[in-house]
Amino acid sequence: MASSPYFSLAALFVAALGFGLAPLGLVWLWAKIYSPPKPNSIKNAIYECGLESKGDAWVQFRSAYYLYGIIFLIFDVEAVFLLPFAVVFTSLGAVACAAMLVFVLLLIEGLAWAWAKGVLTWS
Amino acid sequence: MDNRLKIELERQGIVATTLQELYNWGRKNSVWPMQFGLACCAIEMIATTMARYDLARFGAEVFRSSPRQADLLIVSGTVTKKMAPQVVRLYNQMAEPRYVIAMGACAISGGPFKQGYNVLKGIDRYIPVDVYIPGCPPRPEALIEAFIALQKKIAAQPLTGEGRPRHLDADAPGEFPVPAFGEHDLEPPANESVWHAPLTQIQGT
Amino acid sequence: MKSVEEIKSAIEAAVPGAGVELVPNSSPSAQHSLLLAPEKAVAVATFLRDDAELAFDFLSNVTGVDWPEPGYLEVVYHLYSMAKKHGPLILRMRTENRIDHVELPSLTPIWRSAEFQEREIFDLFGVVFTGHPDLRRLLMWDEFKDHPMRKDYVDPDDFEYEPTAHDAVLERAIEHRKQLSVSSGQ
Repeated sequence: MASSPYFSLAALFVAALGFGLAPLGLVWLWAKIYSPPKPNSIKNAIYECGLESKGDAWVQFRSAYYLYGIIFLIFDVEAVFLLPFAVVFTSLGAVACAAMLVFVLLLIEGLAWAWAKGVLTWS
Repeated sequence: MDNRLKIELERQGIVATTLQELYNWGRKNSVWPMQFGLACCAIEMIATTMARYDLARFGAEVFRSSPRQADLLIVSGTVTKKMAPQVVRLYNQMAEPRYVIAMGACAISGGPFKQGYNVLKGIDRYIPVDVYIPGCPPRPEALIEAFIALQKKIAAQPLTGEGRPRHLDADAPGEFPVPAFGEHDLEPPANESVWHAPLTQIQGT
Repeated sequence: MKSVEEIKSAIEAAVPGAGVELVPNSSPSAQHSLLLAPEKAVAVATFLRDDAELAFDFLSNVTGVDWPEPGYLEVVYHLYSMAKKHGPLILRMRTENRIDHVELPSLTPIWRSAEFQEREIFDLFGVVFTGHPDLRRLLMWDEFKDHPMRKDYVDPDDFEYEPTAHDAVLERAIEHRKQLSVSSGQ
């Protein structure tokens, strides 16, 4: 068995697993022996801002919120590209400017489409 | 080990320690306060964490926004009676070992608002306080001083026997009752197991 | 700005049976105020806001006063005009008594800025504002029964520890000690 070419791999795998699990086990053992758990209903409460939770978390959100979020994200990412573009703007050629224009126009087209669809009117 | 021998060894480049010292050394240098401010003292607390005073030098590296991840509750400011149950509930939700610094005159005793109708006369009526800082508000240096005092307190705690930290003590209380909103005052007005009125002489009695 | 007497006659001309009284102030500030009859207060307030010449479009402050003698609660409103840059005009309203007839009309529908201040007066003085959109306690908790800013309010007996007591606090601390020794049978 020791002659199997996979033996060293398996031994290494077990060692790696032990390397990860041993500290966890030690911590668990330490807590088990020395640190008695004292749970209570306040400590086990889900909500963590000092107030008592009331009501249900299963409430409905407007789907328009997510559309707003996605549109914001598009222009957030656009800003990331526009900033380095603006920094090196003077040393760029016409091709680079045209490429950037296409990129911006594509995003503006998306905004125009969302606008026309009435996504931006919040009521 | 003899303390003098230990110092002599350290001079020779040999560090001798005990498990207790090592454990407490780790604990005292990783006290994470809770990100929680009540009034104007909180502004001084924020200043303490910023670059000029830099509380992070002492191991209070991050202010945790969740009580589950925090070790230290800095009660920074006036505790109104309407806010007191929330403070006590947050303290209950912190994991052991947990420590409390009462920062400023209001958190200690009610301060200038002691006779107000909506101010708690000291947070130590409901939860055990480890370090008190006077001042209105205390300067950032005072908060750092209190923090170092707390570190000294942690370093001096034995791991077994009398005076061991609460998380190693099965009999130490784990729950501190949250006061309820009553018709005239908080109920009960103080937690009897935590707070007793200090004996003071009043003229005329 | 018109004088308070002129405003009073303007109100009486615009709102029939307004029942506005002038409350003179004899101090050097001479800030005379107008006492409104509660049943006509909303009509008078609407007139003061909408009248082209007066145009009191800004309510800066609402406060309460407790008068144990002769026994009523009073609410005071301070009005300014942003458009005409004049003010203040001070309005007062009084409840019938301090115990059961403590209703006054809310002026929140006319000046939105009154909302929280009327809630505070409801909380601390116990004036019930009819027509207020959201009349709940503001500073104290909902279960609280007293009204702390009334002159006869007695705060809870938590004078166990008064290291530097004097005057009224000293009296309460001594009283607390006496009650403690009575209840413990010493």
